Amino acid sequence: MVGLTIDGKRVEVAQGATVLAAAEKLGIEIPTLCHHKSLLPYGACRLCLVELEQANGAALQAACVYPASEGLVVRTDTERVLRTRRMMIELLLARCPEVPRIRDMAREMGVADTRFPKKNEDCILCGLCVRVCQERMGVGAVEFVSRGVTKRIATAFDKQSPLCMACGACAAVCPTDAVNLEKVSSRPLRPIPSEFDEGLSGRPSIYIPFPQAVPHKPVIDTNHCLRLLDGTCGACEAFCDAGAIAYDQEDRVETVDVGTIIVATGFDRFDSRQITRYGYGRLPDVIDGLEFERLSHASGPTGGEILTTAGKPPRAVAIIHCVGSRDENYQEYCSRVCCMYSLKFAHLVKEKTGAEVYNFYIDMRTAGKGYEEFYKRLLHEGVHFIRGKCAEVTDVAESPEEEGKLVVVAEDTLLGMTRRVPVDLVVLSSALVPHADVADVARTFSLSCAHGGFFLEKHPKLAPVEAAADGVFLAGACQGPKDIPDTVAQGAAAAACALALMDEGKVTLEPVTAEIDPALCAGCRMCIASCPYEAITFDAERAVSVVQEELCKGCGTCVATCPSGVARQRGFTDIQVYAELEGILA
Amino acid sequence: MPRITGDDLERITTEVARRWNGYRMRLMLCGGTGCVSNKSFQVREVLEAEVQKRNLEDEVAVVVTGCNGFCAQGPVMVVQPEEIFYQLLTPRDVPRLVEEHCLNGRPVPEFMFTPPGEDVPVPVMSDIGFFGKQRLVALRNRGLIDPENIDEYIARGGYRALRQALTEMAAGEIVEEVKRSRLRGRGGAGFLTGLKWELCRKAAGTPKHVVCNGDEGDPGAFMDRSIIESDPHSVLEGMLIGARAIGATIGHIYIRNEYPLALKRLTRAIVQAREYGLLGDDVLGTGFRFDVSVQRGAGAFVCGEETSLIASLQGLPPEPRVRPPYPVESGIHGEPTNINNVETWATVPEIIRRGAAWFAAIGTEESKGTKVFSLVGKVRNTGLVEVPMGISLREIVFEIGGGIAKDRQFKAVQTGGPSGGCIPAALLDLPIDYEALSRAGSIMGSGGLIVMDEDDCMVDVARYFIEFLKEESCGKCTACREGLEVMGAILTGICAGQGREGDIALLAELGEAVQDASLCGLGGTAPNPVLSTIRYFRDEYEAHIRDRVCPAGVCKALFHYHIEEAKCTGCLVCKKSCSYDAIEGERKAPHRILLERCTTCGACYDACRFDAVAKIPGGAPVPA
Repeated sequence: MVGLTIDGKRVEVAQGATVLAAAEKLGIEIPTLCHHKSLLPYGACRLCLVELEQANGAALQAACVYPASEGLVVRTDTERVLRTRRMMIELLLARCPEVPRIRDMAREMGVADTRFPKKNEDCILCGLCVRVCQERMGVGAVEFVSRGVTKRIATAFDKQSPLCMACGACAAVCPTDAVNLEKVSSRPLRPIPSEFDEGLSGRPSIYIPFPQAVPHKPVIDTNHCLRLLDGTCGACEAFCDAGAIAYDQEDRVETVDVGTIIVATGFDRFDSRQITRYGYGRLPDVIDGLEFERLSHASGPTGGEILTTAGKPPRAVAIIHCVGSRDENYQEYCSRVCCMYSLKFAHLVKEKTGAEVYNFYIDMRTAGKGYEEFYKRLLHEGVHFIRGKCAEVTDVAESPEEEGKLVVVAEDTLLGMTRRVPVDLVVLSSALVPHADVADVARTFSLSCAHGGFFLEKHPKLAPVEAAADGVFLAGACQGPKDIPDTVAQGAAAAACALALMDEGKVTLEPVTAEIDPALCAGCRMCIASCPYEAITFDAERAVSVVQEELCKGCGTCVATCPSGVARQRGFTDIQVYAELEGILA
Repeated sequence: MPRITGDDLERITTEVARRWNGYRMRLMLCGGTGCVSNKSFQVREVLEAEVQKRNLEDEVAVVVTGCNGFCAQGPVMVVQPEEIFYQLLTPRDVPRLVEEHCLNGRPVPEFMFTPPGEDVPVPVMSDIGFFGKQRLVALRNRGLIDPENIDEYIARGGYRALRQALTEMAAGEIVEEVKRSRLRGRGGAGFLTGLKWELCRKAAGTPKHVVCNGDEGDPGAFMDRSIIESDPHSVLEGMLIGARAIGATIGHIYIRNEYPLALKRLTRAIVQAREYGLLGDDVLGTGFRFDVSVQRGAGAFVCGEETSLIASLQGLPPEPRVRPPYPVESGIHGEPTNINNVETWATVPEIIRRGAAWFAAIGTEESKGTKVFSLVGKVRNTGLVEVPMGISLREIVFEIGGGIAKDRQFKAVQTGGPSGGCIPAALLDLPIDYEALSRAGSIMGSGGLIVMDEDDCMVDVARYFIEFLKEESCGKCTACREGLEVMGAILTGICAGQGREGDIALLAELGEAVQDASLCGLGGTAPNPVLSTIRYFRDEYEAHIRDRVCPAGVCKALFHYHIEEAKCTGCLVCKKSCSYDAIEGERKAPHRILLERCTTCGACYDACRFDAVAKIPGGAPVPA
């Protein structure tokens, strides 16, 4: 450890640490551009200058490269330091007057404009791309070319490099967004689509899935991480001060013993590609509801600006309801939430872009507190509602005003005519459908599926959150399409039921359970296969089937199944049933 | 050739002396680059043929030496043992010279040097003012030996210091001796050589390296080249002693590929030294192991900076890095590396041989010994000079240099190469000393001295050097790359008559920031030419900016040519010299310059024998 003083504060750092690292430890901010924690110190941009007190007078040095040494006295805020830093950023501003990062830094440092001839470059020659490619990736596809004022960064012979792995590290570290990966690599680019942004933006191979993720921690994408794939990079490990990166972690299955289970597996979106005439997946400006949600969100790929793929705000937007719902060819049921979110979208488009909005609907279903009022408000806002199912979305223009637009063809049942509406953006309000693996989940938790594939509750009115199996509860859209308030309510109810069960600490068994007489059981195990509650096990020693009374619901299936007639139901033995009948008939 | 031991040095000396004494006279023809480019090799061919023709081979030896130093008068030849100095020789002069001097014993005054303003030629070399004030340490063998013959170096006392260092001194004693001599690095920064050796000696890690920095990149400087060309073994011996003191086993000599003659002689010297066992596994039979390799540089000025040089030696782009760690701790491949300049290495053997006290007695309080300068520019006697520290600039320029050519007025002398400062006439009595030069806003540098006269525009000089440094900047750090470009643009603007009020202040502000913020010495000293000319010649800047006038008549946009009718004889010479048909006039009638066609190239000005073409301050008047 060596001790040094920065701005009068003493700090101890490891031997070999830089002055910049020591300042960071003290929380003293020093501006940098060419510095990157995972790369070797370089010292090119000269923004991190600090003043060192030395025997032969004070001297300026770059904090990012100057090693801390015992007794070193550093000042980061003298007039000379600030003046020289300002000159450096002014020179960089002259080089790259249009680069936002440089402009912002200049402004922060008190440089409004540059007095020097502007060059309109976008690269500041910080060498981060060169260094990351060399040091981290071990490739060296981009390098400095020439020297002095003609120095620039290029691939060999200015041709797309066959060495480049198209990993994008150079573009990721570039502080001025000056790297055009397509010009660097001869390989096709492989952007990693962001799952959370519905593929509308890319993401790195180490990422926090979404801003509200719990736990709020990054994960490594094993399919793309170069460190895991071929042992290069490892930048995140060098970057993480906490030493939290562990490349040897693996997925593992954990077994947890629980008393109750709440199934809240949610839903899938209907794949709108199935309805080919709507052009989803074929026409770039046909998007579905969740994509629109990301597009209009402040944390989304465009920062909340609603833009078409051409990067322009749309002048007209169509929202098509009931895509895959209420449709005999797909789902017959109503997805319940689409009308309201479509109205929300319409409102957002109107508010953010002022575009004309056309809703194509079958029926407006606005059952819910305040929902109808919202619908009314939109009618006043001038949103168009066209009652009729959309026939197709096409980019084939039939008139000049349709040129370059998407045309929504629909029957207007109120007017009794077919309409062609040219728009710039089409939003499909696609149906909510059960997960593709719903059958597996049902089998795992002994659940039944209702019509359409959603899980069946025990009783639609009296036990709407309980599954037929004891201790299993349902919450949310896995049980049926529902909106957020309903989901929250059902979730809370399920949690309360689960808690109530656990709080009691004991379960009340059904009095009417089955029993198998071991003396007579032939051990054919047909009852085991028939039991919906997995309440019958096979005793291999005695070669008989045994009913576990705690699990038995007394449904009687085994009784009816047993070929030997040795399965009996308590309270419903043949004798008792006959006696009841006789009593009734008497 | 057999391997030799320490005792063989005397035997070789005797043999060489016998050979030298066997000749009645030895013709020491300069084979330095300056003289070679003035056809000294042709002179040599004729000379050898002539000697053979007259059957004088056994009496007269023709020896091609390294640079004699008096480059302005090349090709030069010194006839030993009388030390008669001949100059400006051409192959045509040779037969008469051989006939008269060698055969008839009558030196030829016609080929001798006549000081300006005098009539009588000076026959003996040491009587010539150019040589008189010099004191040769690093250049001790110049003109006296054949640089391609190791025996002649040994005969002049060579490799004795090495023998002493290997057999009589402990490594620590050598370091102490060099420390006591207070020798400072001759590459420019002036760090105490002994101290550097001590740090490297104490640094942990093996193997250790010693490097000879021969990447002399200053325009107009040729000290290192001349030393290697005239006495390569002095450098090798210095490196051997240094390696012994430091404990280094690997030597590197970084030399510009643009120095083919130096490269050839150095390579030959290394081969000879290896054959003699002076380099290799068992130096002089003492068990000491050291060898050198030659690395050719591609001519980037920045490679002279030691961390760039190390990068270049390792095959990387020559970009400097921050120090510390200094190369003495972490240099080539992270191993301790001691870098000294050619002149420093060449000086070391003399310090060991003659003692630190002898060396420390020369020079000033802080700067000891002698320094080699390449004296160029508007001075009469351009050439290579070695003078004791503390000598004044006036003595160098006016006594050794013989004053300003064409009797013009002295204006300034630039010391220290392109990143040095310009020192005005008022400071001519400044003693040559690291600190004194630094206080005057310049640097010692590696030893370039460029003398300027009244015809030199100081703004243009600053512009030239900044443009040079801008091209030579490695481009790594913002300060140097962007700063120098902007400074160059402002200076070019001023020279083009587009200077603005505030430019001087802006230049000073930029210069200070570039000095402060640059990563390496190149950028750190690059603003010197600008800052020193602003300091001493501010009036010239102001004339350019405010009056749109270049007082020296150099900046083409700020003056125009005019033919004075009274002086013009109508000889047509200027008209013929003009490539742009910009002069009109008939024979015997005064000529006139058509300003709209004139490019201010100056051909007419140079051509006119009657001084009729005059420079008129201010740009060409716009035709009405």
